Amino acid sequence: MLGSYLPALVFLALGLVVGGVLTVLNGIIGPKRPGTVKEQPYECGLPSEVTSNFRFGISFYLIAMLFILFDIEVVFLYPVAVQLEAFGLFALIEIMVFIFLLFVAFVFVWRRGALEWR
Amino acid sequence: MSVNLSILVFLPLLAGLLCAVVPGSAARWIGLAASVLVLALSVMLVAAFDPDAGLQFVTDVAWIPELGVRYSLGVDGLNLFLVLMTALLWVPATFVSAHAGYTRPRLFYFQLGLAETAVLGAFLAQDLALFVVFFDLMLVPFYFLIGAWGGADRVQATTRFVIYTLVGSLLMLAGAVALGVLSTPDGGQISFDLAELARRDLPAGSQAWIFWMFALAFFVKAPLFPLHGWMPDAYRSSPVPVLVLLSAVLSKVGAYGFLRIVLPLLPDASARFAELVILIAVVSILYGSVLAFSQDEVRLVVGYSSIAQLGFITLGIFSLDPKGAQGAVMQMVNHGLVVVPLFLLAAVLVHRAGGSESLARMGGIAFRAPVLAALLLVVSLATLAMPGSPNFVGELLILFGVFETHIVYGLVASAGVVLAAVYMIRFFQRAMHNRVGPSVESRDIGRVDFAAVAPLVLVIVALGVYPQFLLGRTEAATVAKVQEAGRLAEPPAAATAKEPVR
Amino acid sequence: MSLIAQVQAPTVDFRGLSPLIALVVGANVVLLAGLLRGAGVQRVLVPLLAAVTLIVAGALSVAIWETGDVEPLVQSALAMDTLTLSMSLLFYLAGLATIALSLRSSAVGEAGAGEYYTLLLASISGMVVLAAAENLITLFVGLELLSIPLYVLCGSAVRERASLESGLKYLVIGSVGSATVLYGLALIYGATGQTDLGRIAAAIGEQVEVGDPLLLTGIALTASGLAFKASVAPFHQWTPDVYQGAPTPITAFMAVATKTAAFAVFLRLFDAALSTNQVEWGPALAALALATILIGNVGAIGQRSLKRLLAWSGVAQAGYLLAGVVVGTRLGLQATAFYLATYLVMNMAAFAVVIASERVSERGDDISSVEGLGARSPVLAWPLTIAMLGLAGFPATAGFMGKFYLIDAAVDGQYAWLGVTIVVGSMISLVYYLRVVAAMWMAPDAPPLAGPVRRMSPASGGSPEADPRAQPETVAVALVCAALTIAIGIFPSPLFDLAVQVGTSISGI
Repeated sequence: MLGSYLPALVFLALGLVVGGVLTVLNGIIGPKRPGTVKEQPYECGLPSEVTSNFRFGISFYLIAMLFILFDIEVVFLYPVAVQLEAFGLFALIEIMVFIFLLFVAFVFVWRRGALEWR
Repeated sequence: MSVNLSILVFLPLLAGLLCAVVPGSAARWIGLAASVLVLALSVMLVAAFDPDAGLQFVTDVAWIPELGVRYSLGVDGLNLFLVLMTALLWVPATFVSAHAGYTRPRLFYFQLGLAETAVLGAFLAQDLALFVVFFDLMLVPFYFLIGAWGGADRVQATTRFVIYTLVGSLLMLAGAVALGVLSTPDGGQISFDLAELARRDLPAGSQAWIFWMFALAFFVKAPLFPLHGWMPDAYRSSPVPVLVLLSAVLSKVGAYGFLRIVLPLLPDASARFAELVILIAVVSILYGSVLAFSQDEVRLVVGYSSIAQLGFITLGIFSLDPKGAQGAVMQMVNHGLVVVPLFLLAAVLVHRAGGSESLARMGGIAFRAPVLAALLLVVSLATLAMPGSPNFVGELLILFGVFETHIVYGLVASAGVVLAAVYMIRFFQRAMHNRVGPSVESRDIGRVDFAAVAPLVLVIVALGVYPQFLLGRTEAATVAKVQEAGRLAEPPAAATAKEPVR
Repeated sequence: MSLIAQVQAPTVDFRGLSPLIALVVGANVVLLAGLLRGAGVQRVLVPLLAAVTLIVAGALSVAIWETGDVEPLVQSALAMDTLTLSMSLLFYLAGLATIALSLRSSAVGEAGAGEYYTLLLASISGMVVLAAAENLITLFVGLELLSIPLYVLCGSAVRERASLESGLKYLVIGSVGSATVLYGLALIYGATGQTDLGRIAAAIGEQVEVGDPLLLTGIALTASGLAFKASVAPFHQWTPDVYQGAPTPITAFMAVATKTAAFAVFLRLFDAALSTNQVEWGPALAALALATILIGNVGAIGQRSLKRLLAWSGVAQAGYLLAGVVVGTRLGLQATAFYLATYLVMNMAAFAVVIASERVSERGDDISSVEGLGARSPVLAWPLTIAMLGLAGFPATAGFMGKFYLIDAAVDGQYAWLGVTIVVGSMISLVYYLRVVAAMWMAPDAPPLAGPVRRMSPASGGSPEADPRAQPETVAVALVCAALTIAIGIFPSPLFDLAVQVGTSISGI
């Protein structure tokens, strides 16, 4: 049984050996010519115009996230609505429960003031 | 007349719980009363004991049916006197503590009671799992007793003590479970009952590693030579009443475990490794004797002499000879009886020497303290196995046993007897005679210490006069324990002639 | 059109689902109740509602208790068998203890009581789903439902940097774990063509070979992902940091309940679905158990923070528990379930004392905060002592019985060396468990604060001598759990009976 682990062990050992050898070889035989350009962080294209301390308002994220959540959940209602007769009473009750849970979430979000733009 | 062993075992714990809730000043007297009561119960036990009846006063109920563990207690010749010894020695230990006035008395007497319950339980358990439970439980109170009431470096000492011993105990736990599981026949119900386990077969290969797991636990507990590393620190740091129990009672549980569990349950391995264990025992005798001779601290003189004594006991057990085993049982009781007065008298001497543990600072008080000197003389002579002392009988039997089976080791071990005389006489001389130490106060033994020591000395003398009282009751059980292993250990020529049963 | 028309409504056994329904309803009620203002509502009503929810769910779980390999619910998505129900009871108990421990926690005030307790209930319902999962899909849903609320709870002390860091760390690591599980589940599905655990078991050895590489890779990835959740080495590195940073009641909850849930799914997946190739995964899991026991115990030795110490000890305990999974036997299943119960009471006792003492000590959860506790307040020192001795496996405590059972299972399952590893681990563990005990009972008076110790303002604003009676619920949790630790250690039979009933839940082994 332990024999079946042999490939995995060989693989592990090979990985360690190859990785280690390459790292060491790089350090030994690789050319080292440091320069100021090489020390700088890499960025492609034009110099960036956006300053790094720019921030979106936190409300934007909140509203966007809530929109996506409710949006996707409403999408869920469509297939059931279209085929309600085929699914029967069970699906109706299920969807009512689902909508009720959404409602609870909505009340929570509303009462906690997440819908007010700050 | 019958004695309920559960009451005997759990009485100290109940008293200890009571101690934990009453006012501190009352705790010590409750503790003392409980220890006396336990002693009375064990005396009744000895009185009611029938030497020919095998296991008696049995309590046997299912404890954990799913694991085949039973709550099973019983008395036979093997543990009868060890129980009596435990109960007897707990009285002076509690008595001395009661007069020493330790801080946090409620906790102290609770731990002391728990300790007595654990030791009695370990001696009386007839189920392997139950034995392991009590054996490990012993550590908890001693951990606290040394760590909270000890001297300098107590935390380090007690931690080392617990780690050493629990390393052994936990290995034993694994060994015990393995013993139970592996000896269960296919389709059979797992059992840890000692009598049942002795009937079941265990392959010799499994016996070997399980043997060493048990042996390590018992060696550490004793302690024997290579595993005694916890001993010096723990002996130095323990409070005196705890020290006497540690040395007199706890060390015997290990030796007892060999007779109760290892020899009957693992006879193949016992026979196979007997010579090695005997070697360890002989080395312990020589090592302990030499160090006892060279130590300056009184506690360590007695401590190392205990290693030598335990070496003798182990030697007797692993001679796998009925006489040797009998001697070992006798010597277990004897050692407990002499080491307690030794430590208590040593504590008196330390007190007289202004609190110094050093032998060099003692001496010269024999004339002014004749009672103290007389008591110490009797105890010292008993320790060095003077003819007429019970120790003489014990050691003689052990040596007989060893000579029967391993004559070379017997000869070497005999040197240990001589060495004992050397270190004990040195101890007595330095402590009592010679020049008066620099700050020695020459006063005789106090009433409290006298009351604690004198009865024990009387018991020693009585047992020296009439050893048959003990030997007659222990013989049947002890001989039965070594029979199987002894038969297996016979020279190959003789063994092959017989039908190999296992 | 015709395809949809054939869809049948699944048969739903509402009786079997009742504990879950109770949890979800309770979570909603608590969320809405949390919107009401007023100290009375926030500090009394909301926790009370959460506690009632757990008690109701627990009562329903007891009511539907049925031994044997019961028929799964909802088109074999969930199995409300003894394994699920017993584990659920552990979750509820852990939840109740957490609620009690949280009552005075500053995290609740900062996050809002409604949110805090709702997230707790949601996480518990995730655990129940996870433990009950009879299907790879439900398994993953349960895993996520368990994890996501916990990420938030870890960061719920929003004014503390450490808590936020802990939440973020847990989120990142936990997501990696979840992704690994998902990948593994996908490969198992790919190999067997089934998502149902029972059918996977039937397929292995029939449609797919026991040593099929795809299947084995799937098993390996799933095991690794679950190992993240159970903090099994080498996937344990997050544990000390997250445990230390999270609000302590949440740490207690994670240490106990998350681990229980992770092992419940370990047991179900490996014993119910994959038991036929135990010979393949057994040695690998055994190696993990060995590494976990050693790494956890060695890692704990140098710790000064009690929470970190308990985190490392939790890693070690996960290793012991894994031994019960490795053997893949009924005895192993029973022993693991038994140990999980003992693990709960011992850890809860320890954490309750840590919480009580960190609230009144300016040393936070540093080990020096409990120095001299034995003299100062024995009512706290005893539970922690018992918990430490129990975790170390001393007799007359639950921990001893648990270890006994695990070693029994390991030896019985031909893994005697793993049993020996458990005791070797216990030996190492003595070093740090006893250090805590020694600090409580044997330390001289508390030394002055050393340099590296972070000064913390006591959360309750009390003096170091603050009376333990000022937080009775914390002390009560500690005392009850400690008493249970001793009770199980002396009278283990009822719990063993339960464990045997749990053993009947999976019939294939």
